Amino acid sequence: IATFLGRKLQPRPQNEVEETLKRIQGQKGVQGIIIVNAEGIPIKTTLDNSSTVQYAGLIHQLVMKARSTVRDIDPQNDLTFLRVRSKKNEIMIAPDKDYFLIVIQNPSD
Amino acid sequence: MKLWMPWALSRCGGNRNSLHRNRLCLLAFQRGCQTRPVHTAEAEIQPLLNADNGTQTDPQDHLIYQLPPKGELRPESPGLRDFLHRVEDMVVKELASNAKSHAFDGFDVNWEDQNETVSCIHCLQHPSAQEKGLQVTSISWSCTGSVIACAFGRVDDGDWSTEKSCVCTWNLDRRGLNPKRPDMVIDVARPVMSLSFHPSQPSLIAGGLYSGEVVVWDTNRTQDLILAQTGMSTDTHREPVYQVAWVPGPRRGEMVVLSAGSGGRVLLWTVDSDEGRLVLSAGFALIRQQVPHNSALSKNRGSSNVGVTSLALSPWDLDTFLVGSESGLVLKCSFSAQTLAAAPPDGESVTLRAPAQFSFSPRGGPVHSLHCSPFHRNLFVSVGTDGLAHLHSLLQPDPLLSLRVSDSYVFGVRWSPTRPLLFAAATGQGLVQIFDLGRKSLRPAATLDQLTGGQPVYCLEFNPRRKDLLAVGNADGSVNIWHLSTELTEQGPRETAKLEQLANEVAE
Repeated sequence: IATFLGRKLQPRPQNEVEETLKRIQGQKGVQGIIIVNAEGIPIKTTLDNSSTVQYAGLIHQLVMKARSTVRDIDPQNDLTFLRVRSKKNEIMIAPDKDYFLIVIQNPSD
Repeated sequence: MKLWMPWALSRCGGNRNSLHRNRLCLLAFQRGCQTRPVHTAEAEIQPLLNADNGTQTDPQDHLIYQLPPKGELRPESPGLRDFLHRVEDMVVKELASNAKSHAFDGFDVNWEDQNETVSCIHCLQHPSAQEKGLQVTSISWSCTGSVIACAFGRVDDGDWSTEKSCVCTWNLDRRGLNPKRPDMVIDVARPVMSLSFHPSQPSLIAGGLYSGEVVVWDTNRTQDLILAQTGMSTDTHREPVYQVAWVPGPRRGEMVVLSAGSGGRVLLWTVDSDEGRLVLSAGFALIRQQVPHNSALSKNRGSSNVGVTSLALSPWDLDTFLVGSESGLVLKCSFSAQTLAAAPPDGESVTLRAPAQFSFSPRGGPVHSLHCSPFHRNLFVSVGTDGLAHLHSLLQPDPLLSLRVSDSYVFGVRWSPTRPLLFAAATGQGLVQIFDLGRKSLRPAATLDQLTGGQPVYCLEFNPRRKDLLAVGNADGSVNIWHLSTELTEQGPRETAKLEQLANEVAE
């Protein structure tokens, strides 16, 4: 048991969140990752501030719209994944109750 | 204590003796009180003057939401670890299969009409200027992209010219557009050599004259259109002003006019619209002895001023600007240079500074046009009398690439605002050559013949709002508006990456 000045040292929790983000970032063509909370505020990002804020605000609205579209068609159904493909790249969004994970990938890179 | 009934109380009293002897007699007093009468009055009021007032914070320019400031680091969000645990596998699987997928190969979506051809949609002329044989020296689009202004003057005349000329504007979005009749004609006492619309106020135009004066016109006015001018003072240029531009001023939201002329001066003017004057706020003087790495040119005799024929502002770095000179020098300069210019003071109201920081490999003749790439911070293209377009990186003196544009002089060059690899050059033979750096061949991707009978084309500008319009000003006094094909305006995949690759090549 490690001690310092007589107090037991707690083992540092491994930073699983950072490790997971690194693994996702390492996939082929990934340009950026943003994690947004339920209110649409970005809490983790690998992009610069202004892009992050822009993506977070716009994608939050899009996910809400997509989710309500799915549920209006069938109230028992729910949104599980959203992909927006454009000329230059693809935005993948994994939604959840408390967070969204946004990954921007350029598959031809 | 017992309460005495009133009759018992009244039996006490009488003479003093009975009072003293009768100890059971109680003294009781009754008192009432009341305030003095209260004065009341009624009155009414009503305001005669009303005033409304309100306050509002400044709108946030680009932010919809705010990132939490660095100081208050939130504690690790609860449930984030579990959330990532849940979604990680699914996301990684999708990313991996997307990278390998061929599902979208060759899949293209047309959101807009495809235009296969390049065509000249307007040929704008001002007959009275053409009769006098005036040439179009400079054109400028307004910030809204609907008005084109052109300046008339003379480029080929060697003499000091006092000819009257004009500035004409056409509004291309107006329904009754008459190509032979400008919407507005501003008469000017001298030939106008350069023109620039204000980047955010669509009614202000700055112009540089052959006499060295700089004028700002306000097209909203009905009477005298001159908003401010330098006049002929000790501060003004003594030589023609070949370039004017609007640059951000010291205060937020303020723009100042930059003017550069063949007298070797680059001056910054603040607009004082109350007095109608342009006030000199800062100035730079280019002296040959102060140009870095100048061994080759120091043998020249003659004026020590480096006459400026072209100027380019960098959209990436507000402090940098590029200058092309009459003798073929291309210099990188800085607005914040502190070295004092070695010019003898000539009565100017501000001290002139020497802005040159870096010298690119010189050309044989005047550098007529420079333009910085809007897609890469280090690239710019320059053209001059050697008929070549040189693609330079800001980081090295020699050009990265030199393309043959024409056998005669090249007067103007502009990068496309939408395609990173495309630029257009105006030649002395009356052609506009459009080059695509993504192509293997060094021949132009398109050639636009201005049908001027071999007379030169002096200037060209892409429309800042409508990406398919290109305006070209000719020596015969006409301005042609070209509608470009989709191939020349739509950005292809990976163009920015290819441009980056080009910029990183080191010249042999």
